[in-house]
Amino acid sequence: MNDNRRRDAAAGLSGDLQENVSYIRRLLNEPPDLVVRAIAPRGSSRLCVLLFLTGLTDSATIDEQIIRNLLREERFGAPEEELPPESLLSALRYETLSASSVGRTSLRKDVVEAILQGDTVLLLKGTCEALLVSTENWKERSVEESPTEALVRGPREGFTEKISTNVALVRRGIRDPNLIFEARKVGRRSRKTLMVAYVQGIIHPDLVDELKRRLDSLDIDDAPESGYIEQWIEDSFLSPFPQLLHTERPDKVRAALLQGKAAVLLDGTPFALILPTTFVALIQSPEDYYERWGIGSLIRMLRYLAVFISLFFPALYIALVSFHQGMIPFKLAFSIAASREGVPFPAVIEALLMEGTLELLREAGIRLPKPIGQTIGIVGGLVIGEAAVQAGVVSPIMVIVVAVTAISSFAIPSYSAGIAFRILRFATMLAASMLGLFGIVLTFIMITLHLIRLKSFGVPYSAPFAPVMPRDWRDLIIRAPMTFLTQRPAFMQTKNPNRANKRGRRA
Amino acid sequence: MKSFEYGDGEIGTMEVSYGVCNMVIGFGVLTLPRTLAGMTESSDAWMSIVLGGAVALGFGWMVASLMARFPKQGFRDMAAAVSNKAIANAATLIFALYTLLFVSYETRALANISKLYLFDRTPEEAISFFFLLVVIYGVAGPSISLLRLNLLFLPAVLSILLVVLAMNLPLFNVHNLKPAFITDWKGVASASKGTIFSFLGFEIFLFYNAWVNKPGKARRAVLSGLAVPFVVYLLVFLFVIGIFGSVVVRNTLYPTAELAKQVEIPGGFFERFESIFFTIWVMSLFNTAVMAFDVTLIAIRAVLPKTGRMTWILILGPVVYLIAMQPQSVTEIETFGEWISYAGLAVGWGFPAVLLLAAAVRRVKGDEKSA
Repeated sequence: MNDNRRRDAAAGLSGDLQENVSYIRRLLNEPPDLVVRAIAPRGSSRLCVLLFLTGLTDSATIDEQIIRNLLREERFGAPEEELPPESLLSALRYETLSASSVGRTSLRKDVVEAILQGDTVLLLKGTCEALLVSTENWKERSVEESPTEALVRGPREGFTEKISTNVALVRRGIRDPNLIFEARKVGRRSRKTLMVAYVQGIIHPDLVDELKRRLDSLDIDDAPESGYIEQWIEDSFLSPFPQLLHTERPDKVRAALLQGKAAVLLDGTPFALILPTTFVALIQSPEDYYERWGIGSLIRMLRYLAVFISLFFPALYIALVSFHQGMIPFKLAFSIAASREGVPFPAVIEALLMEGTLELLREAGIRLPKPIGQTIGIVGGLVIGEAAVQAGVVSPIMVIVVAVTAISSFAIPSYSAGIAFRILRFATMLAASMLGLFGIVLTFIMITLHLIRLKSFGVPYSAPFAPVMPRDWRDLIIRAPMTFLTQRPAFMQTKNPNRANKRGRRA
Repeated sequence: MKSFEYGDGEIGTMEVSYGVCNMVIGFGVLTLPRTLAGMTESSDAWMSIVLGGAVALGFGWMVASLMARFPKQGFRDMAAAVSNKAIANAATLIFALYTLLFVSYETRALANISKLYLFDRTPEEAISFFFLLVVIYGVAGPSISLLRLNLLFLPAVLSILLVVLAMNLPLFNVHNLKPAFITDWKGVASASKGTIFSFLGFEIFLFYNAWVNKPGKARRAVLSGLAVPFVVYLLVFLFVIGIFGSVVVRNTLYPTAELAKQVEIPGGFFERFESIFFTIWVMSLFNTAVMAFDVTLIAIRAVLPKTGRMTWILILGPVVYLIAMQPQSVTEIETFGEWISYAGLAVGWGFPAVLLLAAAVRRVKGDEKSA
């Protein structure tokens, strides 16, 4: 049955109008929202039929630009010289319809897809071809600031769920004919539009080829979110680190494109993917560039510190308290010991309890309806912060450690990188509980080794730290003044290395 | 993605320098001052360092010449080109045995010193075991990642050393260095031997040579890699003597770590800086051990290519562990280390010397295309 349908769909339209219409109806199983409107264009004896799905289309467009024009009187000459159907179809396409995009096809498959996509199909009696008028309309969220990546300074626009808007948002910033968007359909059933964006002449061509090769291997029913694409085309699924960066900010995508990276946009999600990604990119934020270089550099160093804290702080606490008490200054050791008095657990259990509770709180905070969300904060803060300490389950110092760690993990710009550090934090905690500082340094070595081995689309994840690219160090730990950043990142091996000229535009 | 590569199959000049530096500096810094102070009076061992360093630089030049003479060839191919296959295979296997023992020694010595500065109760067996597991994780990946690890770790390791030295500056007492020139030449000579031992390790690059991309620059890379440890040894020795005095150093197990003990963090944020120092030093020791193990595997696989790398790792891992557990006391660990140093001298420096001589006499030159 299914095979039959597929073969049917691949076939061409028949010359019989009635058959075509009933075929489409049958195929879609007589949908209640399918409108079949028969119209006789003025000045012609031939009947034509409009087919569209009510919810997906813009009725104003159909009324104004299709139906009204079809019913206008002045066209198609005298009745005695009736145009042949093929020419009539052309005439309709080129002279009558005032919609901005009108296509023509003879395949059933295209017709059905167009209807499902929200286009209006015009079938004319006596031809085996159809006109596809784009009348797609879907209520769209307005372009507003992205809630997940807010900045103090910077454009207040974010991607929406509609890909045409997103493409426009990217285009608006790069008015360069070399900015290429390549569309492809994704999903056997969802047939969503996916766009690959890059700037030709900057990006390394092999990177584009590799990206296309990986996208070609994509064969799934549906990709509801760009996360599906990300997980399908990433280099290593075992790594906790994200190998593609996702963002809701058009300015971030534009900056990446001009660095010689590629972006993937998917219809139906505001999250665009940027690739390849390096470890450093996880820690950078567009604001580093929008603010002056001094503060940009300092904030960036602060973030490196935040990464360190969110990975190792609880582990260090465990190591110091259970193995290296001698390293804690005498007075502090005394107060820690006093505060831990009565706590029945070893430090590692205490830490795991608190970190576990925090993860629960975080998860619950996301799931709860917004009005109740605040309650979680209060309950969490009160129960965990106060009551647990009062009851002697955990020590106040532990609460401080967990709180500082949590704050640090929120300071990392990339959410998915934060997740990686959260996972690894538990590993460092366990290692610290077994081998103290030695365990911490061993996990540090393993994480570093992993980062050095990891690649994102052939680009080493640890670049430009290792392999060392001294030129890129201007924009690594510090963010050098704008006039120093005249070259694109060396690790991207761009085709056009210069992005600015310090001496100004040559006349 | 052919052209879109980052020299992943190659070793650059920078990797060679850093690798040589890390390989040499690894354990030597911790023990060298005691060895030297034991054989000489006051600060006279600086002459030994200069002497030993000169010899080491000489051998470094030799190894590098060999590398430049046979571009893109590993030790076995060099040996095979000069002599015959059987001898080359035997020499390569002996080399592999030496590096394998070196990994064992490194593992055990690290466990020993960890116990001293980090743990009181954790047994050395456990410390070695976990260290070795991480080493195995390291060698399970490509060699280039290990060399790149050097690039990240060496700066950290050298900076912490400089911090230790800088923080100790106020305690430096010039009078401890005096009187000069009171040791007889025998003492200086025997102390040079200790220095030479501390310079061992860079010979493993004879194996990495197969991937070195600019053989012409090998000499400069190796020699600059050796220059850093030379300066570091000199500095550390003078500081240790200047701060503790010769007699104290003679009776301290790891004087450099004791130097770190003296450091007081301004603001009293935490104490016992030597734990931090040693924790960071573990990164350097890890690098040394992992590269040595890597070379063991490369050497064995050069002779017996049929068995896979992972199989050899699984076979040799337990062997390394068992060997590492043999010494029963600190003295035995030291004797173990000393014998390995002799072996290193014979295998790591003797073999290349013979090889270079033979190559020069027979006028054999490596051809890049044939390799």
